[in-house]
Amino acid sequence: MFETLKDILVNKLKVSPDTITAEATPEEIDLDSLAIVELSLVLEKELGLAVSEDELSEAGTVGDIVRLMDERSARV
Amino acid sequence: MSNSEAPSGRSAGLPTGRAPGRSAVLAGLGGWVPPRQVTNADLSARLDTSDSWIRSRTGIATRHVVAPGDATSDLAVEAGRLALKSAGGADGEDGADAVVLATTTPDRPCPATAPEVADRLGLGGSAAFDVSAVCTGFLYALAAGQGLIAAGTAERVLVIGADAFTTIIDPQDRGTAVIFADGAGAVVLRAGRPDEPGALGRVFLGSDGSRSQLIQVPAGGSRQRSTGVPARERDTYFQMSGQQTFRQAVERMSAVSRQAVDSAGWKLADVDRIAAHQANARILGAVGEELGVPEERFLSNIEHVGNTGAASIPLLLHHSHADRSLGTGDRLLLTAFGAGLAWGATTVVWPDLPG
Repeated sequence: MFETLKDILVNKLKVSPDTITAEATPEEIDLDSLAIVELSLVLEKELGLAVSEDELSEAGTVGDIVRLMDERSARV
Repeated sequence: MSNSEAPSGRSAGLPTGRAPGRSAVLAGLGGWVPPRQVTNADLSARLDTSDSWIRSRTGIATRHVVAPGDATSDLAVEAGRLALKSAGGADGEDGADAVVLATTTPDRPCPATAPEVADRLGLGGSAAFDVSAVCTGFLYALAAGQGLIAAGTAERVLVIGADAFTTIIDPQDRGTAVIFADGAGAVVLRAGRPDEPGALGRVFLGSDGSRSQLIQVPAGGSRQRSTGVPARERDTYFQMSGQQTFRQAVERMSAVSRQAVDSAGWKLADVDRIAAHQANARILGAVGEELGVPEERFLSNIEHVGNTGAASIPLLLHHSHADRSLGTGDRLLLTAFGAGLAWGATTVVWPDLPG
């Protein structure tokens, strides 16, 4: 799931790949409030995962976002 | 037995003067921005921001603003004059018998700005009124103009989108001050047939007033003035909840665009060009993603003019027509979203216009 997220961040949100680690914060990978919404829209459209921008905003790190995605996909 | 059961093809019962199937056809186009320019470097000098921050987050490099003392009517008159001139050549007719002005920033709270614009364009005596639908204003105004023509109320309608938007922006708010700007764009609609190039398709419009607080100027209207208490300064300025607005913009513009394209009998793949409200380059990227339309089909001038409110779409058409990124015969989708909330979309096959 980490690789899937990394792929989306790099290709859809233009995040530079070398900054993306599980420990990186959204701020460190330059994910601003609008990018959070873009990510939420892409997760839903590409993977069918409903993760709201509020939930994504509360995620402290890239690893936390991966955990949210894992949770949602397990429920499907 | 009701009239609707009369044999088809009979025109009895139609009001006199109303021709069945009468369409509104694009016959002229103009756009104008005030000469005073504000670059990202100018903004960075007085706000905690930078050229690269503004460019990467909004797609804007520079924008135009009104000079002190100038108003929306001054912008509207310039764009309107160019549109009337562009419409005058083809069929020898000129002028218009109605002026519809979409604006968020009228010259004064009362009266409407359109009558003065009409008068200054030599169209005194014509029907003239303002349409208030913020960034979707031009599409609402187009629908109004289309209706005036379809009903036989007018033969030629000058539809203008104009905003001195910077006049409601807090100059110290780096979130909005870098985005909004001033300008005007206009089209002339004439009565014509539904099957000719330039005939407007059905305009799909929508609103959601339960989210009116997402984008607003809280003070200055009856809600605040009835209190008798002077407004807090920040409430006299434009405020926007960026995150929620972004999601709504993408979802609403995508949905209404699908409706307009379906109604034209097209598929999204048939659309040659999209003229979407130039709110933010990233919103348009997300709409393209959602619709599966490649980025290069989106017309764009946001880099040079920013978000000009109601002027955004007609100004974009003017620039795209001038630089030939929009050509005769192109199947064009127009769509907008903004405060209200309000949104809309329509289609047109781009006609052969001068210039």
